[in-house]
Amino acid sequence: MMSPTVSRKKCFDCSALEDNKCLAEKTVKLSNYKPGQKGQIVQVCGDSDFRLRMLEMGFVKGTEIKVVKYAPLNDPMEFEIRGYHISLRKKQAAHILMREPEIAV
Amino acid sequence: MKQKITVALAGNPNAGKTTIFNALTGARQHVGNWPGVTVEKKEGTVTHSGRKIHVVDLPGTYSLTAYSLEEIIARNFIVDSAPDLVVNVVDAANLERNLYLSVQLLEMGCKLVIALNMIDVARGRGIGIDEAYLSSLLGVPVILTNGKKGIGLDSLLETIVFEVENNQSSDNFRRFTYGAEVEDELEKIQNLLRHVNYSLEGPAFRWLAVKLLEGDSEIVKKIDSGDDRKTIREQVEKSRSHLKNIFGDNPEIVLADARYGLISGAIKQTVQIERTDRVNLSESIDQFLTNRLLGPIILFAVLYAVYFFTFRGSESLVQYSESFFAWLGANVSETLPDGLLRSLVVNGVIAGVGGVLGFTPLIAFMFFAIAILEDTGYMARIAFMLDRVLRGFGLHGASMLALMVSGGIAGGCAVPGIMATRTMKEPKERLVTILVAPLMNCGAKLPVYALLIGAFFSGDRVSIMFLLTLISWAMALLAARVIRSTVLSGPSAPFVLELPPYRVPTLQGLLIHTWERTWMYVKKAGTVILAVSVLFWALMTFPGLPPEIQQSFQKKLEKLNSEFIKDVGASSVIQTPQALENFEKFTKEHKSDNAKDLTKALAAFSKSGYKSDNDSNQRYSLMENPEINTDVAGKFLVLRAKRLEVENKEQEERLRNSFAGRVGSFLELVFLPIGFDWRTNVALLGGFAAKEVVVSTLGTAYSLGSVNPEKSWNLSEKLRNEPGWNPLMAFTLIIFVMLYAPCFVTLVVIRRETGLWRWTIFAMVYTTLLAYAMAFLVKTTGSFLGIGLV
Ligand SMILES: Nc1nc2c(ncn2[C@@H]2O[C@H](COP(=O)(O)OP(=O)(O)OP(=O)(O)O)[C@@H](O)[C@H]2O)c(=O)[nH]1
Ligand SMILES: [Mg+2]
Repeated sequence: MMSPTVSRKKCFDCSALEDNKCLAEKTVKLSNYKPGQKGQIVQVCGDSDFRLRMLEMGFVKGTEIKVVKYAPLNDPMEFEIRGYHISLRKKQAAHILMREPEIAV
Repeated sequence: MKQKITVALAGNPNAGKTTIFNALTGARQHVGNWPGVTVEKKEGTVTHSGRKIHVVDLPGTYSLTAYSLEEIIARNFIVDSAPDLVVNVVDAANLERNLYLSVQLLEMGCKLVIALNMIDVARGRGIGIDEAYLSSLLGVPVILTNGKKGIGLDSLLETIVFEVENNQSSDNFRRFTYGAEVEDELEKIQNLLRHVNYSLEGPAFRWLAVKLLEGDSEIVKKIDSGDDRKTIREQVEKSRSHLKNIFGDNPEIVLADARYGLISGAIKQTVQIERTDRVNLSESIDQFLTNRLLGPIILFAVLYAVYFFTFRGSESLVQYSESFFAWLGANVSETLPDGLLRSLVVNGVIAGVGGVLGFTPLIAFMFFAIAILEDTGYMARIAFMLDRVLRGFGLHGASMLALMVSGGIAGGCAVPGIMATRTMKEPKERLVTILVAPLMNCGAKLPVYALLIGAFFSGDRVSIMFLLTLISWAMALLAARVIRSTVLSGPSAPFVLELPPYRVPTLQGLLIHTWERTWMYVKKAGTVILAVSVLFWALMTFPGLPPEIQQSFQKKLEKLNSEFIKDVGASSVIQTPQALENFEKFTKEHKSDNAKDLTKALAAFSKSGYKSDNDSNQRYSLMENPEINTDVAGKFLVLRAKRLEVENKEQEERLRNSFAGRVGSFLELVFLPIGFDWRTNVALLGGFAAKEVVVSTLGTAYSLGSVNPEKSWNLSEKLRNEPGWNPLMAFTLIIFVMLYAPCFVTLVVIRRETGLWRWTIFAMVYTTLLAYAMAFLVKTTGSFLGIGLV
C-alpha cells in the first residue's frame, strides 16, 4: 500500500533546497515556477506542522501542480492541484521542492 | 429501535454541508452555541418514515488533526456526542482532497454515509464517478446529491434510516491498514490502551493509537490526564522514533502519505475524466477579477459598493427604526408620571437599547453584503490580492474585510467587523484583527466628529474627514504591527487559502446567513446594552442634587412663574400658578410651540373647560382680543425659554453631582495634560456605552439639555464661544474619541470572539493608552507650534 523507501538520492530530498547545483539542474523551488508552468512535487519541506497541513491539502510526492498566477503585488501565488485552486505565500512555496517545470497546456 | 436519530454533517469547507442541512431541515433549524468555544453549531430536525432525525451541521474541515479550532470542534463532536451516523458531504468535483477526510472518518470507526454532492458540477467538468464501485471499495453507502436542487436527499434520508437500523457495527476501519511496520506499533499502543480502559470499543482503540502515533496534541493531553500515562507515553515515544528510523520521516507525515496513497488507488479505479476543451468559467472570471491591473481597481470598486449598499441601502430603514424608538420614548414620556421611573425607562432603557437596536437594519445590510462576497467566492480573492499589503503589519489578507466593515471607509461598526473575522483560520492574525478593528471610524463616532468639525473647522470639512480616515488606518496598522511584535509575536501561521470556484449564491442561503448573524447581534447587543444603559443611567442620575440646591432651583422656577403671572395676570385668564400649569398642559396637548399657535391656544384655552378653578368669567371677553393674546403669547414664550435655561442648569448641576460627574471631575487630574474638563470626561464616560452618547452628554453638561446627535448645531455654537475651546482642543478630542476604549457592545463581542477576558481588557487598556498618548502628542505639538489656538 505504501512505499517506505525514501529517495536518498541527492537533489531529491529537502537538502536540495540548500544546494544551488541541484536547484540549477534537477530540482526547483515551487516559488520559482512562473505562471503557466507545471510540474511534479519532489518533496514538501519545512516544519512538521506545515508539511502535515500541505499533505492534508493533497501536496503529496509526485502530485502535479500548476502555477495559475501571481497576485497583483507578486505574492501570494495561486496554484491548481488535484483539480482545485489554492493560494500560498511565496515563502511557503519555497519550502516545496519540485521537478523541473514544463509548460502547461 | 431508537426513536430519535442523531446525524452529523461533516465535510470539507464549501462541500455543501449547509446547503444540504438547510434543504433537509427546512425552516426548523435554530442556531446554538458550542459550549465553551466560539464557533456556532447548527441543529435542526427532519422527520422521515416516522423517525425524527436530528441533524447537526459541523464546521467545514480538511482534516481531523488538532490544527484548527474547527477541526477540534468537529472531532470532539463525533467523539464525545457519538452521533448515530455521520453524513460525509463530499464535493464530487474535488473528490481526491475530499476523500482524505472520509478516510479519517472511517478510521474513527464512524458509521458513515457519503453524500457525493455537487454531482452536477462534476459532470459538467467531464468527471465520471462509478459510485457503486467507490461504495464497495470504501465499504460505505455513497449517494449522489445536488444540494442546490435538492436532488438525492430522499434517498439520503432513506439510507440514513436504513443504516442506523440495520447496520449494527461498523468494521470499516479494518479495511484500511498501514503496512506491517506501522501496524505493529499501533498494535503495541492499542494493547496498552486496552489494559488501561476496558470500556472502549475496537475502532476507538485503533483511532486513539493512530492519533497518539501522530503526536496529536489534544489526544496526548487526554492521555496525560489518565492513569498509567507514563507507560503509554513511553511506548508512544518508542514507536514514534522507531518509525522515524525506518521511514526517515515523522509518523504523522508517513500516515498522511499512506492515506493519500489509498485514495489515489481508489480514484484510479472509480473516476474517469473525459478531457474536455471547455474553458473553466472560474478561471476566465479570474482573468479579470484578480488581474494585475484590473483586479485592485475592481476590488476597491466592490468595497465601495459594499459600503454604499450598506449605508445608503439601510438609511431609510435605520431612520424608521430610530424614529420608532423616538416615538416610543415620547409616548412613554407622556404616559408615565414625571420622576425616576420615567427617567429610567425613557433615558435609560429606551434611549440606550434603542440607540443600539436602531442600527439593526444597517447591520443586516452589512451582513447581506458580506454573505454575497462569501457565497460567490470573491472574499477569498480579496484576501488573495491584499495579503501582501496586510502581511507587513502582521495581519492577513482576510483582515481587510473586517477592517472595512468596522469603519475603514468612515461609518461602519466594529461589532459585525469583529464577527467577520470568523472566516479567518489563523489564530494570531485573527486576534490582532479583532484587537485593532475598534480603531476604525465607526458610524457612532461620526456625530462626534460632525459636532466638533462643524464648530471649529468650517470650510475644509471633507479634507478633515479624509484626514481622519487616514489617521485611523495608520493607527490600526501601526497598532497591529506593534501588537504582533510584542504581545502576539511569533511567526505567522501558514497562509493556506483555497480559492473556490465562483458560484451563484442562492437567495435562501444569503438570507439565512444574514439572519443568523443579525439575530446574534440583536440578542447579544440587546441584552448587554440593556444592562449597560441602566447602569450608565444610574451613574449619571444618582445621587441627585442635595435638597437645598434642588429647592433653590425650584424657587427660581416659581419666581419666574410668579413674575409672569404678575405681568400678564391683569389682562389674561392666567392669574394663578394653577392656571399657568393648566395652560401649559393645554399647549402641550395641542403642540403649540410658536407665537401664532400660542395665540390661538390662548383664545381656545379661555373658552375651554380649564376655567373651573377660576371664577373670573368677566375676563374671558378680554381674551378674545387678538392683540392682547399675541402679547401674552410672546411673554409666555419668553417664560418658557427662561425656565428651560434654569432646568438645563439644574440638569447640568445634577450631572456634575452624579457619580459619573464626580468621576469626571476626578479625571480632570488625569486629563489635565490634554486639557479635558469634567464635562468632556463625563461625555467620554458616556461614550463607553455607545460613542454617539458623547454628543448628548456634552449637551447636558453644557446646560443645553439632552442634545440630539443629528442636530447638534446649537451645541457647536456653544462650544465655539466657551473659554478653553479652540480648534486644537477640538482636534485633540476627535483623536481621543477615535482611539479610546471600544464601546461596551464591542467589548462584549471581543470577549465572545476571543473567549478570554484577558484580551477584552487588553483591548480596552491599550486603546485608551494609545488615545491618551496621541491626544497628548496633538495637544503639545499644537501648543508648541501655536496651531489652532484661536
Ligand atoms: N452546483 C451546485 N452547487 C452547490 C451544491 N451544493 C451546494 N452548492 C453551492 O456551494 C456553495 C457552498 O455551499 P455551503 O453549503 O455553504 O458549503 P459548506 O460545506 O456548508 O461550507 P462551510 O460552511 O464553509 O464548511 C454554495 O454556494 C452552494 O449554493 C450542488 O450540489 N451543486
Ligand atoms: Mg456551512
